[in-house]
Amino acid sequence: MSDNQAVMNDFDFHGKALDTIFDDYVEMLDSKPVGYSNKYGGFWYIAKSDDIFDAEQDPETWSVGPSMLLPSFGTDMPLIPIDIDPPTHAGFRKILLPMFTPMAVAKLEPGMHETAQSLADDVMNSTEEAVDVSALFARPMPTIIFSRLAGYPEEDWVLFDRWVDEIIYDRTTHPERAHAAGDELIAYMDKLINQRRNDPASYDDITNQLLTAKTDGRELTHEELLSYGYLLFLAGLDTTAWAIRAALWYLARNKDAQQKLRENPKLIPNATEEFLRTLSPVQAMARTALKDTVVRGQEIKQGERAVLVFGAGNRDPEVYEAPNDIDIERENNRHLAFGGGIHRCLGSNLGRKEVVISLEHFLATVPDFELAEDAPWHGVGPLKIKINKEH
Amino acid sequence: MAELYVDQSRCQGHARCYMLAPETFMIDDEGYGFVREGREGSYDEENVRKAIRNCPERAIKIRGEEEAK
Repeated sequence: MSDNQAVMNDFDFHGKALDTIFDDYVEMLDSKPVGYSNKYGGFWYIAKSDDIFDAEQDPETWSVGPSMLLPSFGTDMPLIPIDIDPPTHAGFRKILLPMFTPMAVAKLEPGMHETAQSLADDVMNSTEEAVDVSALFARPMPTIIFSRLAGYPEEDWVLFDRWVDEIIYDRTTHPERAHAAGDELIAYMDKLINQRRNDPASYDDITNQLLTAKTDGRELTHEELLSYGYLLFLAGLDTTAWAIRAALWYLARNKDAQQKLRENPKLIPNATEEFLRTLSPVQAMARTALKDTVVRGQEIKQGERAVLVFGAGNRDPEVYEAPNDIDIERENNRHLAFGGGIHRCLGSNLGRKEVVISLEHFLATVPDFELAEDAPWHGVGPLKIKINKEH
Repeated sequence: MAELYVDQSRCQGHARCYMLAPETFMIDDEGYGFVREGREGSYDEENVRKAIRNCPERAIKIRGEEEAK
């Protein structure tokens, strides 16, 4: 046990650390399922599926303040609704619930099919030897789908990838860059909200829903609108791009699975759950103990930070058979990719559907493909593939 | 007589039940799952068992029987 302590003392779940994080999970789950890392000001990591589940069901013990994100997303303002505890949380969340039900998402499906097909055609029409399917496919899909749903004008979309890169991906190495981009995004949301406030009746989208909604019998304040808008922008664009890219990364390296899904697209929703379990864009989220508590024998003091390591819980051998195998036909898959409890990812039904429809069109359009060069499984960076067109 | 139901105090709207067994489960306007009228006895069907096993909140239960794990 003590041999592992040194490794886990600097447990990290961002950037380069993700290259080898699945090895960390094996070690943690095997010998130290609750431990302390000195990273990011220090935190207790919680790796077992049941412990994560219990913490998520217990907002009385575990606060999401000061932020669920560690480190923060380029801003110090608490983000609505993820950084808000009960009882205030429920009212904020309720505002958008109707827009993310499976029925509401189904209405967006024709647009998703059209966009996924058009992007898959772009991949096929590329004259590059090595086609970057992150830039041409995985990233534009959610940018287009979510921007339409949220009401971000099309001429602004070119700005978005850089903000995502700097706020989310540069925050651990270049926090000042993340904050500068965060300021740009806040200014953008401020402008959008002010424009739309003058003309609310012409739109039926998330921005309008936020502007006209009431919580506790009152409208949202300008600051609340900025915070909610800021969070939705980052949550709506980045995670889905990662999920699509990670699925393509896996399929490029596993021709059997690729062929199986191409021949039997009905398996794609099940495979998507497995990709979410094993290669999830959200590997961990933070909490703060509101009182002294004990997790798996480990005392955690009031005020200490804890990180729920969903990615480890998703590979817990007590919950999953052969947890580190990616089995696209796995039947028992109660994974934590979208979290659980009152903070369950609001957009999970939308994100899932985007991944499924993306893979359907990609596999139906693009024949046998493989990685043209090595690429990490994580993030939204380049993913260059070689397409065997004569196949 | 045993009866299938969704524990409303636990459901958080993941909608896995509706995706896996739409003939038994339905989703309300806020996204929360419930058992369709007349389907309370369907707990032994394969799709329903799969939904129970895949519910991230462990919210699908059977009243009058040992509770679904």
